[in-house]
Amino acid sequence: MCGIIGYTGQREASEVILEALRRLEYRGYDSAGIVIMNPELTLHKRKGELAEMQRTLPQINGHVGIGHTRWATCGKPSNENAHPFLDCHGRIALVHNGIIENYMALKEKLQNEGHVFTSQTDTEVIVHLIEKHDKGDLHQAVRAAVAEIKGTYAIACIEKGSGQIIAARKENPLVLGLGIDENFVASDVTAILSYTNRVKYVMDGETVVITPEKVTIYGPDGEMVERSSQTVTWSAEDAQKGGFPHFMLKEIFEEPQAIHNSLLGALDVIENGEILPNVQFGSIKIIACGTSYHAAMVGKYALEELAKIPVTVELASEYRYSPGAKEFPLVVLISQSGETADTLAAAREAKRRGCKTLGITNVIGSTITREVDEVFYTRAGPEIGVAATKTYLTQLIALYIIAIRIGYARRNLSHDAMWNELSKLRAMPGAVQSVLDKAFDVEAAVDMLVPARDVFYIGRNINYPTMLEGALKLKEISYIHAEGFAAGELKHGPLALLDSTTPVVAVALTKDHTYDKMMANISEVAARDSPVLAIGCEDDKELPQVADLVLRVPCVDPLYSPVVVTVVLQLIAYYVALKRGCSIDKPKNLAKSVTVE
Amino acid sequence: MKAVILAAGEGTRLRPFTNSRPKVMLPIGNRPILEYVVHALVANGVRDLILVVGYKKERIMSYFGDGSRFGANISYIVQDRQLGTAHALTFVKDLVDDRFLVLSGDNVIDKEMVSTLLSLGEGNSVLVTESNEPSKYGVVLLKDDRVVAIEEKPRDRIGNIINTGLYSFEPDIIPIMEAGVKIGNYGITQVLSAHLPDMRLRAALAKGEWDDAVYPWDLVRLNEIVLESHGQAISGTIEPGVTIKGSVQIGKGTRVRSGTYIEGPVIIGEGCDIGPSSCLFPSTSIGDGVSIEPFVAIKNCVIMNNIVIGAHSHLCQSVVDDNVRLGPGFSCYCGTAYVRMDDGFHNVPKIGCMIGDESTTGARVVISPGCIIGQGCRIGDGAKVSTNVENRSTVI
Repeated sequence: MCGIIGYTGQREASEVILEALRRLEYRGYDSAGIVIMNPELTLHKRKGELAEMQRTLPQINGHVGIGHTRWATCGKPSNENAHPFLDCHGRIALVHNGIIENYMALKEKLQNEGHVFTSQTDTEVIVHLIEKHDKGDLHQAVRAAVAEIKGTYAIACIEKGSGQIIAARKENPLVLGLGIDENFVASDVTAILSYTNRVKYVMDGETVVITPEKVTIYGPDGEMVERSSQTVTWSAEDAQKGGFPHFMLKEIFEEPQAIHNSLLGALDVIENGEILPNVQFGSIKIIACGTSYHAAMVGKYALEELAKIPVTVELASEYRYSPGAKEFPLVVLISQSGETADTLAAAREAKRRGCKTLGITNVIGSTITREVDEVFYTRAGPEIGVAATKTYLTQLIALYIIAIRIGYARRNLSHDAMWNELSKLRAMPGAVQSVLDKAFDVEAAVDMLVPARDVFYIGRNINYPTMLEGALKLKEISYIHAEGFAAGELKHGPLALLDSTTPVVAVALTKDHTYDKMMANISEVAARDSPVLAIGCEDDKELPQVADLVLRVPCVDPLYSPVVVTVVLQLIAYYVALKRGCSIDKPKNLAKSVTVE
Repeated sequence: MKAVILAAGEGTRLRPFTNSRPKVMLPIGNRPILEYVVHALVANGVRDLILVVGYKKERIMSYFGDGSRFGANISYIVQDRQLGTAHALTFVKDLVDDRFLVLSGDNVIDKEMVSTLLSLGEGNSVLVTESNEPSKYGVVLLKDDRVVAIEEKPRDRIGNIINTGLYSFEPDIIPIMEAGVKIGNYGITQVLSAHLPDMRLRAALAKGEWDDAVYPWDLVRLNEIVLESHGQAISGTIEPGVTIKGSVQIGKGTRVRSGTYIEGPVIIGEGCDIGPSSCLFPSTSIGDGVSIEPFVAIKNCVIMNNIVIGAHSHLCQSVVDDNVRLGPGFSCYCGTAYVRMDDGFHNVPKIGCMIGDESTTGARVVISPGCIIGQGCRIGDGAKVSTNVENRSTVI
């Protein structure tokens, strides 16, 4: 997982590339580098955050260049292993996002032919392969090189003395930005939005020749491909912090608006069947990774309750290698970025097995939208903080809408019942806003978690996966070891780990039918002297008697309570990380969209 | 040129609508008041804006962001304790080095106001305007174009020229404000009043639109004024058999169902569900995510966001805050009323009701003109409410 950018045009390339890298930093930030043609290929790269590379960057004037921000997969973070890479003679420079599987064999062969390697990366073999095949036409050399490699890539390369950039893609994101007398290539639209909102997406197996005047796309067999451009409606400022200290907090406070946006299409889906016009399937399988997997688990409860249809949930990385039972469920795949490698592979596997597929993603035109039969866009807007916040909530909203659609279309929900559920869903932006209005109560309450080494998160029913998500958020950004448990499972083992140094975060909502059981679990935990931070309904008078501190949420229907409870858990993770002085928007060892397997 | 917009205040006289948002974020014509100020500045080429925020600042920051959606560069200064406007100005000390504008974020203004202010040239100056209700404001006494005294909310009628709170200042005003704050004068007008004998503060009569929401019912009047200049823009789904007259705006994802009759000026936000067979009359604003069930009549109202209005309801001259759910047959007729506020009774000639955030009503609830229902109230089936209801009360 890395970010790449290429520019050719009239501006100072170094300025464009630095700006783009700053916006791509969420894709990786253990080292960064840049090559500008002036007219030599002048290289500068550094280990560490982008700021470090920028600080040490000398003035390099030139109008063609490429840049890279890295998240190490092959070869540890170091100056040598940072991209870009040059060939033996400094004539060709290249940046790469992806993994080359057969690089050991290729490297050995190239070394025997006399090529000199300077790093431990897999990427470096590509630039030497291109050098080997270069007979004066860089585009043909790139095509010959990628034909020899096995693995995944999005690459951009430039050659001394030429204003063109050659790019290629296989299973890693790549987008072209179209300007006037200038063009761009990048891993992500946000990188180039300050310059243009006209884009073309590159597909698997394609190569592209980019000059300041035009971009030309070639298909896998070398034929020219016509593709119309799309206009992106996000604007670059969406990617700015706007007064908030961190993107994560900004994005949490954008949740009411994000939920509103994902509800906009609800009526068309539910009443008119804009997606899932046909609901003739016997079961549903939801497949996802990480945070999206937790959304999938919440979705299981919602679908089973509203649509009365059996649902299974699987991790994408497991499903794709599973033996595959003889069944034909509707397969729902969730990926915020639409580029998650494991989820994409699972989508292909599901199709291979003959299943109908529905994708839930936030990114229009992302790879997953081309792999599935139908798409639900969550419309949360760009998310820069590495910890998923508003995109998670909008995934929940998407699953609720789909559950109501299926329930209504299969006549499990009457018109009146459908109306009721939709009306509860429409109340969510307000319910989330009222949690946010009390964010400072959370800030004050987290002190008991700040010094902890381990924290337990417990919940039942639909809030069991919610607590898994809460624990994940804390792990991700505060580096505290946190585990989520179904509260009923505590007595089967984990209880042995509890003592006065292990705080427990618990959720118990009065309207939920497991409330009494939760109260018993909280008492059980309190009896081991564990400090308890509880999340409860506004009107709950019993909870303060068993918990040390209580954070309140509006008393919404338990089925929809994960939406409000999650917001509290996100705020808990945020404020704990803040008080521990952690790098909130860029936690160590993590990247935003995981395009490696 | 830079402009400092004061947006930190709560606006206590506008409760319950400011319980959950600062005054500058009250929606008029489905846009926060502050957006009108930002637009007026940007239209005059003033793009570098410093927002002084405090009370519920996240509401402002998550809406305006870095300002580029509005063509501006917005930076934020946090005034944690909202002591007053002079205190707020001391925070911008290191950010202004040239003549700058100071505006309150809670007045609806148009671009003429800003161009008048810009045309004043060097020196410290203030825009003033005539008012029929000077006692609500700071009354300015003039000698030619020079301000000789400012009297805040005078009981006696000493003049009808009032301070609009729009200033053009030189950076040397900031030490004066700092000195004022040190001796406990926290308002800009207080500090200026104290210095009027030895400083030159010019006044210019405002040309253009300037209006202020002081009390909750002012929102209805302001909404009526701004909707006058709204054009036509319809997206969403309009089913066959809907009648639309006059200037009507409908946002994306909204569905207007058959038999609905809309007479503009009316603005409807995104993701709403209207009808079938409901009537919306001038001048009404309906926010985002609002459900209006069949056979509802709404006239001259400000309906905010995520609200459900039950079938057969009638609303007139009313303001309804976010997340309110009105049961079927809700009725609020309009008339002249004495409205009770913390500062006494106010005679309001045409008024319906005002309902705070998250309140709900059962079936067939009737509310008398001029009643203010607080935040989070529960009103039971068939109740007739003829007094104000405190926040979080239950009426049965």
